[in-house]
Amino acid sequence: MKAKDVMIRVSDHLAPDATVGEAVNVLISARRGENGTGVKGLAVLDEAGKLIGILTMRDILKAVFPTYMSFMNLGDFAWDGMLEEMAGKVAGKKVQDVMSKDVMTVHEEAPLMECVDHMLKGNIKRLPVVDESNRMVGMLYEKDIFLAITKAMRRGEAKR
Amino acid sequence: MTQEAAQAGVQVAMNSSFWIATAIFVIAYVVIVSEMIHKTIVAIIGGSLMLVLKILAQHEAFHLEEFGIDWNVIFLLISMMIIINLMKPTGLFEYIAIKSAKWGRGDPFRIMAIFAVVTSLLSALLDNVTTVLLIAPVTLLIADALEVDPIPYLISCALASNIGGTATLIGDPPNIMIASKAQLNFMDFIKHLAPIVLVVMVFYLGAIKLLWGRKLRTKEELKKRVMGMNEREAIRDPLMLKKSLFVLSLVLIGFIFHGLLHLQPATVALFGAGLLLLLSGTQEPHHVFAEVEWPTIFFFIGLFIIVGGVVKVGLIKWMSVQVLDITKGNLFATSMVLMWFSAFASAIVDNIPYVATMNPLIIDMARQIWPHETGLQLLQHQDLMPLWWSLALGACLGGNGTAIGASANVIVVGMSEKAGNKISFARFMLYGMPIMIMTVAVSTVYIWVRYYLLG
Repeated sequence: MKAKDVMIRVSDHLAPDATVGEAVNVLISARRGENGTGVKGLAVLDEAGKLIGILTMRDILKAVFPTYMSFMNLGDFAWDGMLEEMAGKVAGKKVQDVMSKDVMTVHEEAPLMECVDHMLKGNIKRLPVVDESNRMVGMLYEKDIFLAITKAMRRGEAKR
Repeated sequence: MTQEAAQAGVQVAMNSSFWIATAIFVIAYVVIVSEMIHKTIVAIIGGSLMLVLKILAQHEAFHLEEFGIDWNVIFLLISMMIIINLMKPTGLFEYIAIKSAKWGRGDPFRIMAIFAVVTSLLSALLDNVTTVLLIAPVTLLIADALEVDPIPYLISCALASNIGGTATLIGDPPNIMIASKAQLNFMDFIKHLAPIVLVVMVFYLGAIKLLWGRKLRTKEELKKRVMGMNEREAIRDPLMLKKSLFVLSLVLIGFIFHGLLHLQPATVALFGAGLLLLLSGTQEPHHVFAEVEWPTIFFFIGLFIIVGGVVKVGLIKWMSVQVLDITKGNLFATSMVLMWFSAFASAIVDNIPYVATMNPLIIDMARQIWPHETGLQLLQHQDLMPLWWSLALGACLGGNGTAIGASANVIVVGMSEKAGNKISFARFMLYGMPIMIMTVAVSTVYIWVRYYLLG
């Protein structure tokens, strides 16, 4: 099977100049396909529909986490309400300032094993799928590949 | 140095080697200042060109004290970095910083002043960059907790670290380099620089009180956030902490007595690093060594070779003749000019290449003034000593002038930008330059009174 066979067409996407506050609302209501489950990340497309980044829940966590806390072990000294304060500060930032910019994509004709290769080596859970003209056509999730593996195993059992 | 050599100093042969070496030196320094290419890469290319073009033989660069790499500086730096890298995970520095904030009872200015004192004390013992990297994140946390502008805290932290580092042999790279070249020991620095740094620190605290004392305000309930922090939670490895403090004390005692024991500071530090590695029980010293700042170390190595090249061809000698021409051999005037020139030069360019060049220049000058003296009689000639101290004070305190004047400043500016609060070049200078001028002025009075008036 190829990427296009298991990928899901996600109609929701984010604009780079939207605020993070707007983005989280899109993120929380977005669904995988028709009446599917929620998503943990969305593609960021420019006006021409070109993929320029991806914004995941983890990116939001990173944006809220003060950089100085990553320099030293200061977690023990955080106070109740700190997260909420930082969230307030981050809400007004632009999506393009907190999104992950180096996005690994796969071509829609890519074999699934190539997709697994990218996921494991890049430690990523979702891969945007692009067509010939580099426009995003869908998203491939770790779970979709897992489903493909499950199907393959069941077929194997049936044959035996 | 003999009479002949002293005379040869005045007649520098300006042959092709002279011009090649001078060109490498000038181009390297210009590129370092322009920041077009990373300074370490420039230093390595410049240094190796001195070898490839046969200005220096590899043997001279690697093994001769006069033209070569100052291994004393290199091993002192590496060893101290290893000790700090082993100490960092214990949580000691977080403990000290949180404890300091609590001493300030949550009062924004009191905390700033205590942080300044703690930073300067730590900087006197560790290198400035390390100190700032350990203190600045906590100051940002405290500023967030108190909901005050973090920028004054960061700038004050960097300035205090440059002041504190001036006090000791190991506090700031210029001092390490001067100590090695002039064969000065740890106690020389304590006797001659620590007293003035204490005075400078008092002036500094007064200055930050004037600058920021009134502006920093917080609410009572926010102070409770700071007072509610439990510094004991910072200690992650109490056993390793004890071992680290034991070794650090041993190293400090070693530094204090290294002159008497006839041990070089690098020897003391290297032994300390080895001992702490042993006591840490690590089977994988990989990460400890990986965190040594190799770019800094190789920057030094490259620079030493570049400077060695221009020393060998006589450029430095020629420069020293020019300086003596201007000052007519008046050492008081020379030391005053040296201090202020060093301060402004260090505010603009990295003080490490500056001091690497000035050290041999001062020695060459001394050779011309006292052609019959050699060894310590020359290097530590009674009338030469104020020049070393002027160089140290000017080069270290000058770093406060601009955002690029010292590595500690570069670190806080970078850290602040990452945290979303950009410190502009002008804003840093607005605080840094007046403080630099004030501290150098105080030092000028000190040099004049202690070494010339009281003689």
